[in-house]
Amino acid sequence: MAMVSGRRVLADRTRGGNAVRYDSITEAIGNTPLVRIDPAVHGLEHIDLYAKLELFNPFGSVKDRAAWNMARPHLAAAVEHGSTVVELSSGNTAKALAVLAGMHGLRFKSVTNRMRVPEIKDLLLLLGAEIEELPGQSECLDPAATDDPLTLFHRTLSEPGGDYLHTDQYFNPHNVEAHLTGTGPEIVKDLDGRAPDWFVAGVGTAGSSTGIARALRETDPAVRVLGLVAAKSDFIPGIRTIDEVHEVGLFDPGTYDAIEAVSADEAIEGMLTLNRRCGILAGPTGGAAYQGAVRRLGALDAELTERQSAVFVVCDRVESYIGYVRERRPDLFGRPPRRNSPADLSDAEVRAAPAIGVADAQAWIATGRPLVVDLRSTFAYAALHIDGSVNIVDEVFEELLRGGLPFSRSRPVLLACPVGEKSARYAALLTRMGHPEVRSLTGGIVAWRDAGAPLVRD
Amino acid sequence: MGEEPLYLEPRLEEPLRSLLESPGLLHTLTNALGSPLNVLLPDRIAANVERFRSVYRAHHLSGQVWFAHKASGSRALLRRLAATDAGVDVASLTELQHALGAGFTPDRIVATGPKNPPFLWLAARTSVTVAVDSRAELEHLVSLVRGHALSRARILLRLSGFESTGVRVLSRRSRFGSPVANVGPLLDEVERYGDAVELVGVAYHLDTTGLDEKAVALEGCLRVLEECRGRGLRPAAVDVGGGFGVSYVDEREQWERYTTALTDAVLGTRPPLTWGGHGYGLRNEGGTLRGTLGLYPAHRPVAGAGYLDELLSRPAASFGGRPLAALLLEHLYDLHAEPGRALVDQCGVTVAKVLEVRADDAGAQLLVRLAAKADDVALEDHGVLVDPVVVPRDPAGGRAGDGPVAVHLAGSLCLETDLITRRTVFLPRRPEPGDLLAFANTAGYCMDFRATRAQQQPAARKVAAWQEGGSWQWCLDDEYWPTVPVGGTQ
Ligand SMILES: Cc1ncc(COP(=O)(O)O)c(C=O)c1O
Ligand SMILES: Cc1ncc(COP(=O)(O)O)c(C=O)c1O
Repeated sequence: MAMVSGRRVLADRTRGGNAVRYDSITEAIGNTPLVRIDPAVHGLEHIDLYAKLELFNPFGSVKDRAAWNMARPHLAAAVEHGSTVVELSSGNTAKALAVLAGMHGLRFKSVTNRMRVPEIKDLLLLLGAEIEELPGQSECLDPAATDDPLTLFHRTLSEPGGDYLHTDQYFNPHNVEAHLTGTGPEIVKDLDGRAPDWFVAGVGTAGSSTGIARALRETDPAVRVLGLVAAKSDFIPGIRTIDEVHEVGLFDPGTYDAIEAVSADEAIEGMLTLNRRCGILAGPTGGAAYQGAVRRLGALDAELTERQSAVFVVCDRVESYIGYVRERRPDLFGRPPRRNSPADLSDAEVRAAPAIGVADAQAWIATGRPLVVDLRSTFAYAALHIDGSVNIVDEVFEELLRGGLPFSRSRPVLLACPVGEKSARYAALLTRMGHPEVRSLTGGIVAWRDAGAPLVRD
Repeated sequence: MGEEPLYLEPRLEEPLRSLLESPGLLHTLTNALGSPLNVLLPDRIAANVERFRSVYRAHHLSGQVWFAHKASGSRALLRRLAATDAGVDVASLTELQHALGAGFTPDRIVATGPKNPPFLWLAARTSVTVAVDSRAELEHLVSLVRGHALSRARILLRLSGFESTGVRVLSRRSRFGSPVANVGPLLDEVERYGDAVELVGVAYHLDTTGLDEKAVALEGCLRVLEECRGRGLRPAAVDVGGGFGVSYVDEREQWERYTTALTDAVLGTRPPLTWGGHGYGLRNEGGTLRGTLGLYPAHRPVAGAGYLDELLSRPAASFGGRPLAALLLEHLYDLHAEPGRALVDQCGVTVAKVLEVRADDAGAQLLVRLAAKADDVALEDHGVLVDPVVVPRDPAGGRAGDGPVAVHLAGSLCLETDLITRRTVFLPRRPEPGDLLAFANTAGYCMDFRATRAQQQPAARKVAAWQEGGSWQWCLDDEYWPTVPVGGTQ
């Protein structure tokens, strides 16, 4: 919970409790709801399963707490020196730090191995972050080389003249502390002063799971803690794989009664359950935690005679992961078929598309004055094109045709693309749509050039 | 052996697989020609060219596949390649002479890397394309052309230091190529020297496995080419260099299991997996893993021609997100690629005879001494971890105590460091003196790139092998010409 000028501000939304008016957005960090999952959804008979909804934090994730707790003690000095805030993060920590840095007039730089979720990358740029991607491994490897990207990163931090506030989330005890004094005690309070029998969380920096586990064990040392990581070749944005977790300074195997791997498919399946059946718009790691919890607890449930409770953490929201999910589950995005799409032409139709060779096309342009439509990108068109042609990029053309014929039937049309393949498709489509005189330039602009026909630049 | 063996079995494709299933031939060859011995498979390089070509075709791109000669010094491979339609990228005077002598006409040769005067002169004299490494080299080339009244040299400008927009994609600094930030003055010179040089395109080569970095470079090249066209120059090609990679280990699971176990070994939660607890770049600092694994990613889901395909399919942000391949095609540019390692994938094997097998002091592991030096089998030097295949001397002879063993592989030098690999290697059964260990897929950089004559031990001989009418044929590497196989063009 946030401490503001000595006054405790509780945003106890679930119980309709205390103040929800704040002087700064940072006061809204923490005090997130704990929501019971309907047993009809998870099917556990003897276990009450609760979700700790960290997605309620103002910048969107569990990392708001860590970012604020790590940065806060150093912000005043950073403002004085005009330091740049830096962190190794490709996700939520970067998002929170970008906002916090911006609020204090500081620059923020996120350095990452692979910024693999495009929506998050764009959001960070929108928030004013600078992003640096570390180089890939050398192809002609020298095993004795010492210039691995992370070593270089740390070297830059200590270079003279550089003034950095490095929050160092993988090693910084303030990351754990945010949860030891915040998230953990909140759970105990919401469970009427008791710790749950089970606690389940994904492990990224291990900050949240370590801090929460410690707080819960202070109340009841018997709490069992399940840490979840991604299967080795899998990728679940926000948590580490089973090997990578050992590179984390905050990670102590003793914190967890078990570390288990979850696949990306399981994470998405769990996420869908939370999204569709529980009204919880969790992202993939929330789904991983739910799925990992149900998998583990399901095996025990039948043997239980007393009621038990379990809490898992929902770290962030689904919206940033649409691209990630679409790549793995295109079936979820099935769209209705479209009218006038080049995709539903038969091969026979495409083969029968009216076409014209370069020499005849040159003569036709001189006498028949067809509208010459160049389907290539604007950049390629700007560089070199057939004199007098119009540029309608293929993607735009496809959109245009959905609404019907964009040319008068009385106007002949010559379509040109790089090699005559796309133009043949569109010539077939326009023919099917009732255009009487459309032709595809055989061999495309490449053939045109190879024949020595003129190309111009305006 | 108390523990689960951690195999890293090599990916074996034809004809390498069949060769390794021919123990009689391999033993005959090593008996006659000595150990270690390098066996090359020239027909496979032609198949690899075809894989690259099919990626070109899928994207409708024209242009040349240049083999980066530096990856292998084999004559057989180069002569077999000369019989295809591929080109060759030469990086030294001797490589250029070799290429010319192997049958490559100058239109199929590109000279890359920093060049000394004779190399540059012979390149200009024979009218091979010159990838100009720096402004000084451009001036040097111009003075050679003018001074020796040579015909206009066809040049590519090698560029480096590409910058991305939005997200900054960092790349290791390169010593090669001209900085793209200063391309303006360089193009001024190219225009000024129009009598001596003709700009045919721009080039880059990045030593990285990172696709993003290469996509940034290719996009940067497209922008430079536009600037060239704006100046009235007529460049026609982008050369994307090499670095397409090879997958050495067949199964992803084995590679993952091994690297996880190595991590555990470094952290002390399992027995060591290496000689002297070597961590391949990883170290244990108070229970936390530090450092970076200095190993080639031995199992690669995407490598070679498939990697080129992925690169070409990347979107170019500054060109409205169009895929790079579509942009190359629409702008009417040819694509040149210079694969080295990837083009000799599966093209060779290094075999070495087992001299001695003995239990180490602790008795748990075996020490296997080979008739080869570590530099003859330079897999480890390139960070590649992959198991050798045991080729028994007596394939029929079953023996007592068959079962997996953990061994260390030592070389033949009396040097503590002469280990073929520092890794504990697991073999499906105990090798015996006289058996051969076959190190698969060494043709790219791991055969002759680093081999020495230390202790006056001879360098490995090379032979070329091919299949004809269901049986294996061979000749010395030097004796191979495309006419030698009966099926070849005679
Ligand atoms: C989406 C998501 N889930 C889970 C985590 C894991 O939290 P922690 O870093 O506290 O282990 C993170 C952390 O980066 C995250 O971004
Ligand atoms: C200019 C150039 N092209 C191509 C290559 C070949 O690289 P690879 O063998 O990784 O494909 C190299 C390697 O150093 C190079 O320097």
